[in-house]
Amino acid sequence: MNGARILVVDDEPQIQRFLRPALGAAGYEVAEAMTGGEALKTAATSVPDVIILDLGLPDMDGKDVVANIRAWSNVPIIILSARDRESEKVAALDLGADDYIEKPFGIGELTARIRTALRHRIQVEGGQTSLAADGLTIDIVKRLVSRDGKALRLTPKEYDLLVMLARHAGRVVTHKMLLTSVWGIAHGEDLHYLRVFIGQLRSKIERDPADPRIIRTEPGVGYRFIGDED
Amino acid sequence: MPENDRDLPRRPDPDALLALAEQGGRGKLTVFLGAAPGVGKTYAMLTRVRRLKEEGVDIVIGLVETHGRAETTTLLEGLEVLPRREVMHSGRTLQEFDLDAALTRRPRIIVVDELAHTNLGEGRHPKRYQDIEELVDAGIDVWTALNIQHLESLSDVVAQIAGVPVRERIPDTVLNRADDVLLVDLPPAELIERLKEGKVYVPDSAKRAVDRFFRLGNLTALRELALRRTADRVDDQMVDYLKQNAIEGPWPAGERLLVCIGPDRLSEKVVRTASRIASGLNADWIVVSLERADQESGDREAMRQLDQTFHLAEQLGAETRRVVGNDFVEEILKLARREHATQIVIGTRRHRFPLRLFRRSLPDALAARASGIGIHLITDKDKAEARPKRERKWMSRKAAWRALAIAAGTAGAATILGLVIEQFIILQNISLLYLLAVLASAIYAGYAAALAAALFSVLAYNFFFIEPIGTFTVAEPHEVFALFVFLAAAVLAGGLASRVREQAKAAGSRATATQALYDFSRKLSATANAEDVLWAAVTQMQTTLRRNAVLLLPEGGDITLKTAWPPDTELDVTDTMAARWAFEKKEPAGNDTGTLPNSPFQFRPLVTPHGVVGVCGFVQQDKPLEINEERALAAILDQTAIAVDRARLSRESLDQAAQLEGDKFRAALLSSMSHDLRTPLATITGAVTSLLQFGDRMPADSRHDLLKSIEEESERLTRFVANLLDMTRIEAGTVNAKRDWVDVADVVRSAAERARKYFPDRVFETSISADLPFIRGDSVLLGQVLFNLLDNANRFGGDEPVSIYARREGDELVLAVTDLGKGIPPGDLQRVFDKFFRKGKPDGRSLGTGLGLAIAKGFIEAMGGQIKAESPAVRRRGTRISMRLPAAEHQLPEKE
Repeated sequence: MNGARILVVDDEPQIQRFLRPALGAAGYEVAEAMTGGEALKTAATSVPDVIILDLGLPDMDGKDVVANIRAWSNVPIIILSARDRESEKVAALDLGADDYIEKPFGIGELTARIRTALRHRIQVEGGQTSLAADGLTIDIVKRLVSRDGKALRLTPKEYDLLVMLARHAGRVVTHKMLLTSVWGIAHGEDLHYLRVFIGQLRSKIERDPADPRIIRTEPGVGYRFIGDED
Repeated sequence: MPENDRDLPRRPDPDALLALAEQGGRGKLTVFLGAAPGVGKTYAMLTRVRRLKEEGVDIVIGLVETHGRAETTTLLEGLEVLPRREVMHSGRTLQEFDLDAALTRRPRIIVVDELAHTNLGEGRHPKRYQDIEELVDAGIDVWTALNIQHLESLSDVVAQIAGVPVRERIPDTVLNRADDVLLVDLPPAELIERLKEGKVYVPDSAKRAVDRFFRLGNLTALRELALRRTADRVDDQMVDYLKQNAIEGPWPAGERLLVCIGPDRLSEKVVRTASRIASGLNADWIVVSLERADQESGDREAMRQLDQTFHLAEQLGAETRRVVGNDFVEEILKLARREHATQIVIGTRRHRFPLRLFRRSLPDALAARASGIGIHLITDKDKAEARPKRERKWMSRKAAWRALAIAAGTAGAATILGLVIEQFIILQNISLLYLLAVLASAIYAGYAAALAAALFSVLAYNFFFIEPIGTFTVAEPHEVFALFVFLAAAVLAGGLASRVREQAKAAGSRATATQALYDFSRKLSATANAEDVLWAAVTQMQTTLRRNAVLLLPEGGDITLKTAWPPDTELDVTDTMAARWAFEKKEPAGNDTGTLPNSPFQFRPLVTPHGVVGVCGFVQQDKPLEINEERALAAILDQTAIAVDRARLSRESLDQAAQLEGDKFRAALLSSMSHDLRTPLATITGAVTSLLQFGDRMPADSRHDLLKSIEEESERLTRFVANLLDMTRIEAGTVNAKRDWVDVADVVRSAAERARKYFPDRVFETSISADLPFIRGDSVLLGQVLFNLLDNANRFGGDEPVSIYARREGDELVLAVTDLGKGIPPGDLQRVFDKFFRKGKPDGRSLGTGLGLAIAKGFIEAMGGQIKAESPAVRRRGTRISMRLPAAEHQLPEKE
């Protein structure tokens, strides 16, 4: 999917300085914004395919930028953040950002996230009936889950959880998003539900539940489904 | 309580369980109880000790009196006996139980004989039972022995039986709190036999009393008391057991006694009797005094008597209350209902015949209005004791003469006035003039004067106005009658008027006390710092109680003297120990208390809902406080405690605010530092990975730019780390500035050169005067300071050139870096030299590290110089940082 347009929003000129040539070399078209206001304007006018957004901006809170964009666009947003700003990062994800990457990061990692985001964009447009990961197949139409051809018996909640994760394959899904979509709004903070059910799910779908390959933990943020394409 | 038990028959009584739980951590007290000396308590105790000792129990003899008896001495052999403490008492050296040695030795069980003993000399406690309580509190089991006659509640009975007053007495609560009571019994006949054989120790001084005491009748009565007392205890224990284990009663219905006392000697007997009734019924009892509202600051002697009775009641285990009111019957019944009292105990005096007709006694009135409550009337044995202890407080001679003079004066004045008036008009009721005289005497000099005036008036009236005039005889019978009527009226009116006077006086002194207290509390509320509070408190105590006072507050784990009046007061070891006791045990200690009474001070804890905040001591010197002083003291202590507590809280909240500020600062610092470190790292990582992954696809200039950015960011990181290290050195005080000769011109030139290299877009102008002196310092540090300043100037200097000048001013060299940027707001001029102060966004992200100026200041000061910031510097713009360093030229002769 080369030629996709990427908007990089960061107020550090040094970051822009290496992202521009690197993303250019990877085949993307790069637009830049140093402030939140500029980011919103560019996002509206140049219609990027992916936005890379640093949360710390001089003029406004990065979370507000996410909320603002989400009000009118589904464009994938990847958050650039620091490890010590976990709560901000989770808040931005809950507000509708698609993924995050921690500074400092390697360019390979970033391009992988961009690819996932772009693929998801297409999936949303097309819709998908089956998913595969590490020998696991999920047939969404028939509600069937099998591993190496053998059907697995999942409880309805386990199935919902798995599908919720698999639909966002490659991207992080926050605890809150999982809890509210599977258990309902009222259970947004009941983290222990998740711990229990993820444990059960892993013991059923993973080859080695002690070294999970399909559902990966993003500490303090949520979980990530690693499909075969990721 | 038993009603609850009936409602919930299967639930253990929570109070019972709580009492059980509170025993945890305390030692157990075992009392060997005997009816009389010689029944073999010590013997029984020691036999048991030997048995336990053989079983390997850690048991120690704290004190046992052998009285030279061989059989007891034999029993002591092979047991560990603590050495005694020598004390001086009225010139003789005596041996006493050593409490501190026992506490240090800390055996599992300690034997301390003779519970009722009174300690001699300067012990911590005047009574041995207090020593033993302290041991038990410390978690040591204590065995002790007691004769039944020493029990407070029985002392009057014993005195009556044996005809000998008992001097050494212990409160009943001590025995009630004992975990085990073992009765050591010997039939009286056998005891008398033993006495005759000389097996019972009797002190020489008591030889004569012995025969009276050791009579069969006496001993039998005492034996009965001891047996009954033990039986009661066993009964209590069974009830406790039943309650703790939720076994359904038949425990007796919970009785509650309300005991009414007044300021008379009968009350003591009422209290003792009530105590026996209460322990017989296993009932709680409340002792309540009745005071008239207008009597408050009345008779001192009566108040003291009342206090004594209260003290006795407390010792016997009663709750005490004071009730002030006018309708005693109503007050008693109200209290009885509120406290769920089932019985009332009250003393009664038989009024002599005529009075009995007019006045219904309080018990009668009570009986008439109480319903469903039993009333015990305690009467007195003999009339003499029945009389209220109202030793008429005779006036001082001076006051008596004054009263007499006023009485005579007013009566005389009335007579003269009467005689004068009679010259002009015929006055029918001359006696009214005399009534006026009586009233005036009552108001000015009290009841006694009023009586005297009444007497004088009758005489004068008779002499001057009643026929035959000039004699004390009365001719007409109706005049005799009139005279008596006048006398009665005068006495009554005088009584009323003098009472009004007393009340006015009482109200006046109360108002003064209230005003003083009000002033004090206002003074306290105006002062927030602890020192002023303490000072206000001691001076208030000095003025109110006219006693010297000290205040101690806890500090660093111990209690220390903070303020005193007079200010140079010092406390000796005993005083400090007493103060510590008051602080730790939350009870009064020192003079006139059960603890360390040899201290001249009495210490009271300052109690607040948060616990004891300090201790207040005042000089007691065996002069107890009067009741109104006691009240004033209580009020002062309350106010002081609250004020001290408030001062402490406000200090704590300040500390907390500072801490919070510090936490916020640290959080901001951490976030900014992590940002400063991360941005260059992110750039380097990103650029390196980009080159690795896409390098071959990039144009050459892009590759070069990435490499360039890696170099720059690495330098930035290096500078930041170097700054951090410098700052650490300054913080740790390990900056060792060299004391070399430094040519500042060189340093300036090289710093400017370096700056031009780093910041090629900026113009740096230097101006160095020709007569520039050398300084003694460190050229490397100075160079770094200059570069930091140039770096800052570059960052904040807008587009204008940055200038550096160096010149001499007197004995100093002045070095300054000036930029023409926006400048520093005046409020920040001081703070720019603070660590991590920087201009930037609130999240701590900024252009610099916030260390440059702090390091500059640290280094310059290490070289003995000064640094300051000025803004605006030039034409309302810019910042100038100037440094002054001492010139060192005149030590350079070759410069001439």
